[in-house]
Amino acid sequence: MSDVILRSENLYKHFGITTAVNDVSLEFEKGEIHGLIGENGSGKSTFCSTLCGIYPISSGRFLLEGKELRVRSQVEANRHGVSIIVQEMGTLPGLTVAENIFLGEEDKFMHGVVKNTGAMNREAQRLLESYGFKHIIASKMIDNYSFEDRKLIEIIKATYFTPKIVVVDETTTALSQSGREELFTVMDRIKNGGNTVIFISHDLEEVIDHTDRISILRDGSLVGTVKSSETSADELKRLMVGRELTNRYYRTDYGQSVSDEIVLSVDNVSVPGEIQDISFRLHKGEILGIGGLSECGMHETGKAIFGASYGRKGSVTLKGGYEVKSIPGAIKHSIAYASKDRDTESVIIANSIRDNICLPSLADMSNHALLNNGKLDSFAKKFAELMSVKMTGIDQYVSALSGGNKQKVVLSRWLGKDSDILVLDSPTRGIDVKVKADIYALMSELKARGKSIIMISEELQELLGMSDRILIMKDGRINGEFIRNQNLGEKDLITKMV
Amino acid sequence: MHRINIVSESFLKFKTSKYFGFLVLVVMTLFFWGFFRLLSPSNFGTSRLVISYFQTSIQYAVGGCGLYFIVVMGLFDFSVGANIVLSSLVGVLLSRQFGYWGLIFGCLLCGTLIGAFNGILYSRLRIPSMIVTVGLMLILESVANYVVTLDKSGFPGKLSNSNILAFGHAPWNYLAAGIAFLLMVFLLRFTKTGTYCNAIGSDELVAKNMGVNVERYKFIGFVLLHFFVGIMALLTVSYGRGMLAVTGMSSMDRNFKPLMGTFFGVAFKKYGCPVTAIVLGEFIIIMIFNGLVALNVPTTINDFVTGAVLLTIVSLTNRGLKGSVVK
Repeated sequence: MSDVILRSENLYKHFGITTAVNDVSLEFEKGEIHGLIGENGSGKSTFCSTLCGIYPISSGRFLLEGKELRVRSQVEANRHGVSIIVQEMGTLPGLTVAENIFLGEEDKFMHGVVKNTGAMNREAQRLLESYGFKHIIASKMIDNYSFEDRKLIEIIKATYFTPKIVVVDETTTALSQSGREELFTVMDRIKNGGNTVIFISHDLEEVIDHTDRISILRDGSLVGTVKSSETSADELKRLMVGRELTNRYYRTDYGQSVSDEIVLSVDNVSVPGEIQDISFRLHKGEILGIGGLSECGMHETGKAIFGASYGRKGSVTLKGGYEVKSIPGAIKHSIAYASKDRDTESVIIANSIRDNICLPSLADMSNHALLNNGKLDSFAKKFAELMSVKMTGIDQYVSALSGGNKQKVVLSRWLGKDSDILVLDSPTRGIDVKVKADIYALMSELKARGKSIIMISEELQELLGMSDRILIMKDGRINGEFIRNQNLGEKDLITKMV
Repeated sequence: MHRINIVSESFLKFKTSKYFGFLVLVVMTLFFWGFFRLLSPSNFGTSRLVISYFQTSIQYAVGGCGLYFIVVMGLFDFSVGANIVLSSLVGVLLSRQFGYWGLIFGCLLCGTLIGAFNGILYSRLRIPSMIVTVGLMLILESVANYVVTLDKSGFPGKLSNSNILAFGHAPWNYLAAGIAFLLMVFLLRFTKTGTYCNAIGSDELVAKNMGVNVERYKFIGFVLLHFFVGIMALLTVSYGRGMLAVTGMSSMDRNFKPLMGTFFGVAFKKYGCPVTAIVLGEFIIIMIFNGLVALNVPTTINDFVTGAVLLTIVSLTNRGLKGSVVK
C-alpha cells in the first residue's frame, strides 16, 4: 500500500464567486479505503464530482496512474476506471433495473442498431446474484423497488466493471444496517482487489472503522490527512471545525433576556419519513437557530411550520390560538418563509423583481379586486431599495440577479408583508460576505422590532453568532438545545449533530 | 399465516409485472364493452361493430405510438394534426402518378421530413416545444393549402381511384398498423432510442451525466413521432378516401385522439407494456365514444364522459407522489 494511484494537484472549483474547492492537492494510494470528511459545504462532494465529470474543474488537475484525467461525464469517468455512488438517487425511474445498470454502456449488447435486451437482462441478473441481491429482478422496472434497493443497484452500477477508483458519497445514510454491511463488503472487495475507495460520510465512527486514511476538508481547503488507526472521533471533529472564528458580522450581545411571550408553539410535529415528534416554543423577539447535518430534518421542520409539508401530524399554533395548517393560512397570519432551495421554491425566476416582491401582498394592495400598478411599483421599489437590491430597475427579471440579490428579493417580499414570524432556511447559503452582513444586520433589526425569527442553517458559526437559542436536530428529532452564551462553541453543537 | 404471507407476496410480485398491466387493460376493455352492451344490446358491441371500433382505433393508436416518444421526454407537438393533413395531401398527390408507392412514400416521407424539420427547429431555437410546434402547425396548414392547388385531377385531395383504397379496410389496414406497433415495440425494447427517451424523461441531467446525447435523442424523438404520423396519415386518408386542407388551427383537433392513447401508454409504462396500453387505450376510448352514441347521448355529454373516464383511468394508474411537482 504505497503506490499512488490518484493525485489531485492544486485543484480549484468555483461556482460564481463561491470557491467550493480551494487548492486541494491530495494523494490516494492503491488498495486503500480513503475517508473524506468535513462539515457541510466543506467541498467533499464537489471535489469528487469534479473527479467524476459531474462538474468541470476550474483549475488544477487530477492524475490517474500518472496520466492527466479530465472527464466530462460519469460514463467517460467510468471508461477511465472511476465511478461514483452519489448521495441522492442515482437511478432513473421509467427504466428497468438492467437498463439502469448499463445506461450509457448499451454498446456491449448492440448488434448494429439492435439491442440484445435478453442478454442485457441475463448479465444484469448474473451481477445481481453475484453481489447477493437475488431479490432484485433485472428485467423489472426500477420503480418497483425501494430507495434502499435502488442504492444497492447503484452499488452494482458503480462497481461491476472493477473500477480503479470508487467514490462512495454519503451513501450509508440511505441504507439500513444490512445494506451498510453489503456496502462495506463491496468496499473491502474493491480494496482487496488492489483498487481504491474514496469514502465520504458524516458518521465519524463509521469512517474510522472502515478506512485506512482520512483526509479532512474545511471551507474547500485540505486541512490534513491522518491514519485511521491513529486518530479518534474527537480529533477528527477538532480538525473539521478547528478554524478561527471570524464573527465580526454577528451579534455581539450576550446575556440579553428574551421576552416570555410565546408567539408560536410547535407540538409533537411529525412528517412521515422526515421528522418525528418536534416540539418547541418561539418567543417574541427571539432568533431561534435550528441546526444539524443536512439530512437531519431541519429543512422539513421549516416547511412543516409554514404549512408546506405533506402528511404533517401534530400542531403549529400561533399566539392567538390560530393553528397553521396551510401556506395561505400561515401567510395570512403573518408567517414568512424563505426556502433553502432559493431558485425553485422561493423566487419565481422568470418573473420581475416587482412581481416577486408584491406577490404575497397583492390582496393588501388591491381595491375591489383591481390592482393599482402605481401602488405596486412604489411598494416594490421601496422594499427593494430598503434591502439594497442591486438591480437595473424593479422590472428586471430575477433570473438576472446574483444569489445574494435573489435572497434580498425574498426578504424584501416578507419585509413588505410585515410578517411577525420569519422562517429563514439557510438565509445566507451561497452568498457573499457583504450580503451576509446585510442579512445579519436586518435580522438584528427585526429582532429589535419584536419580530421572531427561526433561522435554519447548516453553518455552525452563523447559528452561534446570531441565535438566542439553538436546537440541534439528528435523525429527524431534536437532539440538543443550547442557550446563547460566550462559551458555546461549534464543538458543543457537533457533539449533538454527529 | 405462512400461507397467507406467501399468497400476498405472490400477489405483490404479480402486481409489479407486465401481466398485471395487461390484465388491467383487458378487464377495462371487457368492462366497457359489457357495460354498453348491457345498456344498448341492439346497436352496440356486436362482433361486426367491435371490429369496426377496433379498425377506427388503430389509426389513432399508430399516432399515439409516435407521440409517446416525445411525451415521455416531457415535450409536446401541436403540429401532429397539420402533419397528418399535409402528409395525406402529398400522398394523394403522388399517388396520381405513382399509385400505391406514391401514396405510401408520400405520406411516410413527408411525415418524417416534417419531423426532422421540427426537431432541428426545436433544438436550434431553444424555445419550448409547444411554442415551436404551434408556429409549425400554422405553417404546415398553409403549405397544405398550397399543395391542394397543385392537384389538377379535378378532385383535389380525394383518393378518386377505388383501386388505391386498400389501406382503408382489412387486411391492409391491420398490416400497416401491425407493422407500426411491432416497430414501436422493437424501438422501445431493442434499441437505445427507447431507453434514452425514457431516461431523458426521468431526469435529463442525470441522463446527460450518463453520457446520453440529449439533444440528439430529442431530435430522433421528433423524427420518430412524425414517421408514425406518416403511417397514421396513410390510414386516415385511406379511411376517409381523401383529405381536406384546413386553416385557422383546425388541424389541432386531430392531435387529441392519438394523444389519449399516449396517456394510456405513459400511465402503463411502469408495467412495461406501453404499446399494448396505447392500442387497448384507444380501443377503450373509441368504445366509450360509440357506446354513448348508441345511447343517444348528446355530443357534449359524450365528450364530457370520455374526458372524465380518461382522466380517471390515467390518474388511478399514474398517481404522482404527494408533494411532487406535476407539470
